[in-house]
Order: sequence, then C-alpha cells, then structure tokens
Amino acid sequence: MTKLNKLPAPTFGWLGVNFAERKISDNTAEPVSISEGQTVRTDITADARYELTAQENKELTVIMYITGEDKRIDISAKAESGAKLTLVQVFDKGAFTASALSAEIGDSAQLSLVQLYIGGADTVSEIAPVLSGYGSTFKADIGYLLDGDSRLDINLAADHRGRKSTSEINVSGVLADISEKTFKGTIDFKNGASGAKGAEKEDVLLLGEKVRNKSVPLILCAEEDVEGSHGASIGRINDEHIFYMQSRGIPEDKIYELTARSKTDRIIKLIGDEETVSRINKSLGRSDDDE
Amino acid sequence: MKEKTQVSDIDRSLYDFRYEEDERDYLGSGITPEIIKEISEEKNDPEWMREFRLKSLEIYNKTPMVDWGPSIEELDVDNIVTYIRQKSRMNTDWNDVPDDIKDTFERLGIPQAERESLAGVGAQYDSELVYHNVRKEVAQSGVVYTDLESAMHDERYADMIKEHFMKLVPPTDHKFAALHGAVWSGGSFVYVPAGVHLDIPLQSYFRLNAKGAGQFEHTLIILEENSYLHFIEGCSAPKYYEAGLHAGCVELFVGKGASLRYSTIENWSKNMYNLNTKRAIVSEGGKIEWVSGSFGSHVSYLYPMSILNGKGARAEFTGITFAGEGQNLDTGAKIVHNAPDTSSYMNTKSISKSGGISTFRSSVTVNEKAVGSKSSVSCESLMLDKISRSDTIPAMDIRTDKCDIGHEAKIGRISDEAVFYLMSRGLSEEEAKAMIVRGFADNVSKELPLEYAVEMNNLIGLEMKGSIG
Repeated sequence: MTKLNKLPAPTFGWLGVNFAERKISDNTAEPVSISEGQTVRTDITADARYELTAQENKELTVIMYITGEDKRIDISAKAESGAKLTLVQVFDKGAFTASALSAEIGDSAQLSLVQLYIGGADTVSEIAPVLSGYGSTFKADIGYLLDGDSRLDINLAADHRGRKSTSEINVSGVLADISEKTFKGTIDFKNGASGAKGAEKEDVLLLGEKVRNKSVPLILCAEEDVEGSHGASIGRINDEHIFYMQSRGIPEDKIYELTARSKTDRIIKLIGDEETVSRINKSLGRSDDDE
Repeated sequence: MKEKTQVSDIDRSLYDFRYEEDERDYLGSGITPEIIKEISEEKNDPEWMREFRLKSLEIYNKTPMVDWGPSIEELDVDNIVTYIRQKSRMNTDWNDVPDDIKDTFERLGIPQAERESLAGVGAQYDSELVYHNVRKEVAQSGVVYTDLESAMHDERYADMIKEHFMKLVPPTDHKFAALHGAVWSGGSFVYVPAGVHLDIPLQSYFRLNAKGAGQFEHTLIILEENSYLHFIEGCSAPKYYEAGLHAGCVELFVGKGASLRYSTIENWSKNMYNLNTKRAIVSEGGKIEWVSGSFGSHVSYLYPMSILNGKGARAEFTGITFAGEGQNLDTGAKIVHNAPDTSSYMNTKSISKSGGISTFRSSVTVNEKAVGSKSSVSCESLMLDKISRSDTIPAMDIRTDKCDIGHEAKIGRISDEAVFYLMSRGLSEEEAKAMIVRGFADNVSKELPLEYAVEMNNLIGLEMKGSIG
C-alpha cells in the first residue's frame, strides 16, 4: 500500500485524513508534451503522463476527459511569465484513478483548474500548484457528484511563494447513497509571500443517510502581510429554501434534484466546451437542451 | 530612522519566583514499575488503583509518540521526576499550610480570591494538594469539593471514583494519557447534587515549583441532573532551564439538563511541556462551556473534547492563544455529536508574535445518530510580525445528511487603515495597535473571569510595546 494525498500538516490520526492509502502500480506511460495550440482535447483511458507548458504571454487550454479502467495520471504543468494555462479535467465514471497534478506558476501567470468528478469507483486526486511568481494566480473550480459507493479523496495544496500571489479555490458537490468524499484544501503562505491572498470555499450537499463527508481546510502561514480565509458549509438543503420553492409549486423531490444539479452546473458552465459538455450531459443522463 | 521599542519578553515576575525544594522529597526520576509501586504505596492506593497504575505503565511503554504536532523530542521523560512527597498533610485551615507554600499562593492572590469571589478553593503544590476549602453554605447544599485521593478513600465516594476515573480518557487514548494513568497525583473531585445551582465559582490552582519535575493532577467533576457549576482552573510554574512536564487529565460528567462552565487560564513558564487532556460527556439537554486562555508553556498540546451524548446536548468552546518568543502552542477543541439535535459552537482567536508559533487544531465529528445537529466553528488568527507562524488545521467528519455544519476562518495582519484612523484620533501607533489587538481578543476576554481578563489585556499591552519599529 502506498500513502497518497498526504496532508501538508498532519492532524489527529483517528480522523483518517492524513493520507489516503491505496495499492498502486508504476505509471508506465511515456510523457506527452503539450505546449502549443489554443485548445487541446485529450481522452485518457489508461496510465498517462503529461507535461503542459503555457509559454510566456500565451494562452493554452487543455481538456482531459478521463474514463476507463485502473490508471495513474501524472501531470506536470508550467505557466510561464504572463501566460494563462487552463486545465479542464472531467473524471467520468470508471475504476480506480490516481491523479497527481503539480504546477509552477510564474510572474503574472495564471493557472485555472476546472475539475468535475462524476461518480467513479475510487478517485485519489492530488493538486499541488506552486505560486512562485510575482502576482501569480491560481484559480480552482471543483465540482463532484457522487453516488453509489463512490469514493473521492482530493488533496489540494496551494503553495504561495511569490509576492502578491493569489489563490481562489471554490469547491461544491453532492454526496448521495453511501458515497464518501474527503476534501483537503490547503493555502500555504510561505515566508516572503508578502501581499499574498488566498481564499477557499467549500459547499457540500448531503443527500443520503449513510454518506460520509470529510472536509479539512487548512491555512498555513509564515508571513505577516497576507490575507487568508476559508469557509465551509456542509449539510442538507435548508428548510427556508425548501419552503420557498414549495411555495412556488415545486414538489420536494424536484427541489432536491434541482439543488443538486445547481452544484455541478456551475462547473459545467465554466467548462464551456460544447463537445465536452455534451459528453458530461450524456454521462449524467441529461439532454443537452435540459435547463 | 525610528528607533525600535524593544521589550524582549513579557513580565513574568508574578510567576517566576520559587522556593528551593528539599531533594529528599523527590522520588527517583523516570517511569519504572518500582517508581509506580512506590507512588502507589506513598498514596496508600486501594488495590484496584495500584493495578490500574501498573496496567497504564504497560500501555505507556507500548504506545508510540504522536506523529503530528509540535516537536517534543527535547522532552526527556526518563529524567522527569514524577512524584514529590508532600511536606504536610492536606489542610482546610490556611494557617496550617507551610510558610513557603503559603507565601507562594498568597503572591499569586489565591486566598484573596477565595475571600472575595469564590465558593471554594483548592491549591496544589507540586504533586499534592496542600489546601482545600469550601464555604460552609456550599458544603451544606451537598456539594463535595475535595482532593481526589481523599475522595477515593472516603467510603461515601470511593465507588463513584472507581466508576468514573479514566473512563472518559482511558490510558489507551494516547501516550501521555497512559503516563497520567500510571503516575497521576493530586487534583480535585467535585460532586454537585441534582438541582443545586452554584452561583459563585470553585477554583483549583496548580503550582509546579520543583525543577525538572512533572505535574499529573486529575480533576474529576460530576454534575447531577439540572445542576450548575462554574469551575476555574489556573496553572503556573517558575522558569527553569530544565524541561518540566504537565500531563494532567480532566474528566467532566455533565448530567441531564445540567450546565458546567470550565474556565482555564494556563500560564506555565516557557520551559514547560503542557500535554494535558480534557474531556466532557454531556447528557440530554446538558451543556458544557469551555473558556480557555493559553499564554504560557514552551510547547502545548491542548484540545478539550466534548462528547454530546444526549439529545439536545450543547457545547461551546471559547479560546484564545497568545504565542510569543520560544513558544509553540498547538491548541483547539474536539467535538463529537453523538445524539439527535445536539449543537456546538467554537470561537477561537490566536495571536503570534516574536517568533511564536500558534496552531489552531480542531475536529467536529457528527455521527449517524446525530440527526438534526448543528455546528459552527469560527477561528481567527493574527500575525504580528514576519518571524512568527500561525496555522489553522480544522477537520470535519460528517456521517449523516440531516445536519448543518459551518466553518469559517481568517488570517491576517493589523490593517494599516485602522491604525491610521486611530492615529488620526490622537493615539500613538503603539497604542493604536494594542487597542486593535485587544479588540481582536475582546469577545474571548469578556468570557474570562475578570481578574484574568485584566491580566490578558495587560499582557497584550506589554507584548505590543515590542512590536513597533
């Protein structure tokens, strides 16, 4: 067994959040480099390695649609000075997936990460951006829709080293049936990252008596001149919201469906790419015209 | 260039006085079966307690050190003296307490506080209680407030002690809980009968005077149905170069509809390792309120735990931590929602300065049975310079969909705009910053007993003098 997704600052062992232990094999894939083209789409169904580079002052968008059997995905990304790298990852239903994304963000560069997890038997996802450049930006929008006995463990650690670097992490999702999710989100202000700002928000809707949600939002701070915040909201749909919608003639089961949908629709809208959205809708059993 | 105002450390002269111990009063250092048996003999333990101590020692030897939190590598437990013989028997008359001990507590203001505002006082000096007294009218209401050893030997309470002792914090909990089970000594026993509402607080004060020693007091409080108690705990020690260890244990049993407020002001000297364990279990409709101020010690691991075990049980935790030079204070709270309609609220502030490290660590667990439960956690941290550190490590483990859980945290510095505004109103920069920090800590300090709130405000003023430049 290998310890994956190690929490940058471990905590009480009995919570079971310090790492995710899984049996994994070596990633046998040859690395694929992508550094050109405005939008690149790629399907991943087996072990994969990618080296992504958004060159100085250029933009690069990479869309990964991930399905298939047990696999490891290792991505090394770089946004050079003034560049904008957008990485979209859709983890569709499938077997065990161990995904690791490391990234370096240069001066005034930006990495936008959009991730959507739809079911999936067992996904362990590590996200490790290093905001090394002055004014570098990391923005993450992550959504999940888990049902059945799906398991998801996400470990995101935004490492602020550059002055005036900014991170914004928004996570929202739905847990149904007996699914389990752990989200560990860390904003790490290193000494010297003066003027840095980091904000993290998680919104979890629970729709099953036997779901299990773990949320571990960390702020580590070794710099005085920073602003950091995190917020989390976990639970059912609040009674006032249900009452309001019922007063508008919407039946209760539809209210749950609509609210759950709103958590992932935000992410789907951000993905934008028609072809990818169409595949997501198909996987979710929705029509492209559904509103 | 502006000259920096320098105050290297806070004025601890109130606490940093000491009387030399007679080393013949020490049992040997280290943790061996022989030492444990000797402690047991010294205290005339009943057989079950003797066995409990030895069993705890076995657990201690098998249990690994924690693999998270601040480093305690420099703490050499084998060189800690775990027990110091008492110089006199426990007294209920202040005049009978030995002079040097009496002087110590008088300088700390304990007898004065008893006269003015407390229903009862206990004072522990090193390993044993030296004084315990409770007001006559309080005793007449059926409230028991005594040292744990006396209660254990009193046939009226012996079974109660056996039934509750280390049941909430078993020796298997962690290595220092096991150590506590093996070498515990002193501490208070409080029993509040059903329906008794104690309007004025009880206070126990723990003083560790001896060099290179440990203090392992055990506090056991039992509140019966619909009773109320405010219990205050204070701790201090003079500074030595040798490491000292505090591994106390607090177990609180809050009955149906009862309410307990437990306030602690921890001001150990900066050579102390404060590895304390506190836990409360709350029955239906009951309430536990923790108020915690952590200002002292070199290293602290302190997370009072509330187990909400009855329907509608509630917990509140209000805490402030101030980590200065040479301090690594890892504090917070743990809450377990184990019954329907339970609720919890956690509100903490931490301040780091002069290279101090402050960590807020928490857990909120909502079990399957806790339907309809609510929890809210709010923590704020303030960094006063570039050489300090402040970490926030909360965790939530939710196992039912019928609950509402909220968490928010913020970290930052003193806003330049706020300082500018106050300076435009005639305050100096130093005064403005001190006022802002006091304001930051205000909603916590107002929960502290008055004399401690004043002390905390003074401490902030002193610390802030060193931060301008």
